Amino acid sequence: MNEKDQYKNRIELLQGTLDMIILQTLQWGPQHGYGIVQALRLQTGDVLQVETGSLYPALHRLERQGWVQSEWKQSESKQKARYYRITAKGKKQLARDLGRWERIVEAIGSVMYVKPKESTS
Amino acid sequence: MKWFSNFGFQRRNRELQEEIDAHLQMAIADRVARGEAEETARQAAVREFGNILLVQDVTSQMWGGGWLEQIGRDVRYVLRQLRKSPGFTITATAMLAVAICANSTVFSWIDGTMLRPIPGARDTGDLVSLQRGERNFSPTPPFSYLDYRDLREQNHTFAGILAYHHDWITLTGGALPERAYIANVSANYFDVLGIKPMLGRFFLPDEEARAVPNLVLGYALWKTRYGKDPAIVGKSIEVARHPVTVIGVAPEGFVGAMPGIRQDLWVTLDPLGTDVWRMTHRSGGAVWLNVIGRLRPGVSRGQAAQDLDTVMRNIVAAYPDQHLGDNRITLDPMWRSPFGANGYMAATLPILLAFAGVVLLLTCANVATLTLVRFVSRRRELAIRQSLGANRIQLVRQMMLEGVVLSIVAGAVAVVMTSWTAKTFAWFFRATTIPLALNGGMDHTVVIGIAVSSLLVGMLCGALPAWRSSHAPAAEVLKAESASISGGSRHRKLLSGLVVAQIALSLPLLICSGLFLRTLRNLAGANPGFEQDHILTATVGLNIAGYSNDEAQLIRHKILDRVSALPGVKVASFTDWIPMTLSHKGEDAYPEGYVPHPHESLQVYHAEVAPRYFESLHIPVLEGREFTLEDGEKAPRVLIVDETAARRYWPGQDPLGKRLRVWGSLFTVVGVARNSTHMFVNESPEPMIYMSFFQVGYETIVQVETEGNPVDLAPAVENAIHEIDTRLPVFDVRSMRESTQMASSFAVIQSTLAGIFALIGLVLAVTGIYGVVAYRTQMRTHEIGVRMALGASRVDVLRLVLSQGLWLIGIGLGLGLAFALGLTRIIVRLLYGIGANDPVTVVSVVMLLGAMSLLACYFPAHRAMRRNPVIAIREL
Repeated sequence: MNEKDQYKNRIELLQGTLDMIILQTLQWGPQHGYGIVQALRLQTGDVLQVETGSLYPALHRLERQGWVQSEWKQSESKQKARYYRITAKGKKQLARDLGRWERIVEAIGSVMYVKPKESTS
Repeated sequence: MKWFSNFGFQRRNRELQEEIDAHLQMAIADRVARGEAEETARQAAVREFGNILLVQDVTSQMWGGGWLEQIGRDVRYVLRQLRKSPGFTITATAMLAVAICANSTVFSWIDGTMLRPIPGARDTGDLVSLQRGERNFSPTPPFSYLDYRDLREQNHTFAGILAYHHDWITLTGGALPERAYIANVSANYFDVLGIKPMLGRFFLPDEEARAVPNLVLGYALWKTRYGKDPAIVGKSIEVARHPVTVIGVAPEGFVGAMPGIRQDLWVTLDPLGTDVWRMTHRSGGAVWLNVIGRLRPGVSRGQAAQDLDTVMRNIVAAYPDQHLGDNRITLDPMWRSPFGANGYMAATLPILLAFAGVVLLLTCANVATLTLVRFVSRRRELAIRQSLGANRIQLVRQMMLEGVVLSIVAGAVAVVMTSWTAKTFAWFFRATTIPLALNGGMDHTVVIGIAVSSLLVGMLCGALPAWRSSHAPAAEVLKAESASISGGSRHRKLLSGLVVAQIALSLPLLICSGLFLRTLRNLAGANPGFEQDHILTATVGLNIAGYSNDEAQLIRHKILDRVSALPGVKVASFTDWIPMTLSHKGEDAYPEGYVPHPHESLQVYHAEVAPRYFESLHIPVLEGREFTLEDGEKAPRVLIVDETAARRYWPGQDPLGKRLRVWGSLFTVVGVARNSTHMFVNESPEPMIYMSFFQVGYETIVQVETEGNPVDLAPAVENAIHEIDTRLPVFDVRSMRESTQMASSFAVIQSTLAGIFALIGLVLAVTGIYGVVAYRTQMRTHEIGVRMALGASRVDVLRLVLSQGLWLIGIGLGLGLAFALGLTRIIVRLLYGIGANDPVTVVSVVMLLGAMSLLACYFPAHRAMRRNPVIAIREL
């Protein structure tokens, strides 16, 4: 039981983060899978590289949740591609994820940046 | 398996493919734009993307969704697995199909007889059969017309009550006289049953008791004798040389209100006005009607019986002299109505169905064993799938599905087989004077039965192994290599349990079938008290052919003279009843000076027999004399009683000269005959009276004692009768031995089916134990090799393997015996000349099963013993 639960938590955390990043990227307008990868790479200076093996399952899952919608459109380079667009429901979810993310960062920060003297005793 | 995937799934797969293609195209285009060569760009893009197939797979799992897709995927997987082991698939399917077919066959017989007692009738569940007096098997018609009419008019609990009298008659007028089964019916007969005419109309209320020569034809007769004449209504046809008008034709399938017995045509109660006496009296020969009622909605059988009892008590109070004896009324639902065939069906078929159920359980245990062994050998595969993320529910679902798929296929096979085996029921009944219309039927009830049982079976076969296998922790299975692949102790226990169950289930089947077979042998070997081997009987349709009484008597005397004179004939006589043919004639008899106990039935069996009847059947007349030709119509009425009647009515006295009142006239006892069998060898003796054929005989059956084989004389006897008058119809010319076999029909059915079931059980149990012991021994090959290398002798190995089998056999036999004690109790009533726990049968069956099982263990043990230890050790 324990082992399994821990495993599940780890997955959820990662998934949650990826979902949040994808939704955030789609804030700027509909985008296809390749576009999302490129955008993240540009924004983070190659630090964050999303695996396609995670991206596409995530996109399809988000669509099933109703947080994004997809449609087939021509790209500027005349390539037919599947564009994902964030929905109203997705925007709410993004806000929630962002809030949680900030709390986590804050919490982790408060652990990581404690004064050394407090830990000695 | 294209047919199982649905369009949504395929469309989404195609779209995902296109999406990934688009991704790659854009990546390549970007790289080319940055100046890379087309080919290198493609390679880099694909490398960067990663494993395309994996991405597709993981993504499509995100859809999850449609349960149909999931099941479709599972079914495809299961079918793939089953295709991989055709041996298992074919064996398991065949076994399940046979077992399901065993059940559905018996069920189709129940469905065709007990569940559809009156084909074509509406709501037969509301119909009840009325019986007066002591409840017994195959009773005679219990009501007079006047009593019936009072019951019909004074009750408060029935929507309708009908009456009928079943008989046979000759259709004359055509080229050849033809026998037809006829019923005199009340006017509401078809109405109460809920039958609508196919042509014309049925009887009107005011026709019921009047002399109106109207007739309703049965569908089959209309088709065969009248060529489906659409204008038959209104035409006149000749029945027993009387013109009768056809007023209607009954719909196809309807054969009358007596379960299992066919009626070809119907007339009102007194169509020719010749039966006025019978219509206006309440006792004796006027008691001739079978009665069926339809309960009002919401009325229970108990309430209705009480209601009728009240009415009947008033009738008895008003006409006490016509209602001596027992007058209580009992009601039976039609599925076990004592009139017709269902009384016998209800005593036999449910027990056979229970046997078939045991066979089905046994088969489940066997298939579960096979499945378990297969799963054990697939443990590594399952463990890998589990550690790759398949959840347990999914695994269990797939295993259950495997059982379900097997049983659905088996069920489909069983449907095909049953559509044939259902019709084999008629084989058990030879042609007799009784127009039996018994057969199994394949209708939606049977198909539903098959579907339900195969689904249950599938669950049962799949669930046990699935439940077990899903408990195995994946990591453990993967770590442990070959040594423990044979399964943990849990698997061993379950396998052993299944083997024990198979032996324990097959033992009672074998014991019961042994008891039935010995019953059959006892019945065949029993002495019925009369000669069966050199007797020929032939029915002459004399009084039903329309002769006057004087003409008929003259013809009878002529027949006796001619047949007696034939070479090869020792003795010729007449009777109007043949013993042991599932029929008997009953009548109320009032001995002079005898005071009956309250509610004592005064009904006796009776037969009308001519001079030398007892001589021809070798029944000794213990006191007094046989009938002579002097005992004719003008002589004083005489009768001969059997020992049972003599002892009951005149205990300790000389019965000769005593008098009995039957049909309102007094008969003097002139002889006492030895008891002989009336209906069944194992019947309890009922009082029997014989009356003189030339005084009160009705039907004419010529009975001949021959020197040689009676059948050889059949043409000569028929010719002799036709020489007197070529128009005399002669039916049912057959040997006594053939007729009396009717009495053991049900014993034959029981022992045949029980025998088949037991054989299936034996084969399953023996192959089951062989399979498990062989499998376990094979898994221990390595261990056995080590033991032998360390000095164990071959006998030690033999003992090792045999001992584990012996344990299972011993426990199985012990449990089986306990189970058998319970099961044989329900068949006690069907046995003859043997106890339910007959030690000889039990011991021989236990020894047979034990020996066969031991043999099944010996083969694998023998093989293990002869292995070369060096090779055995290397083999993991």
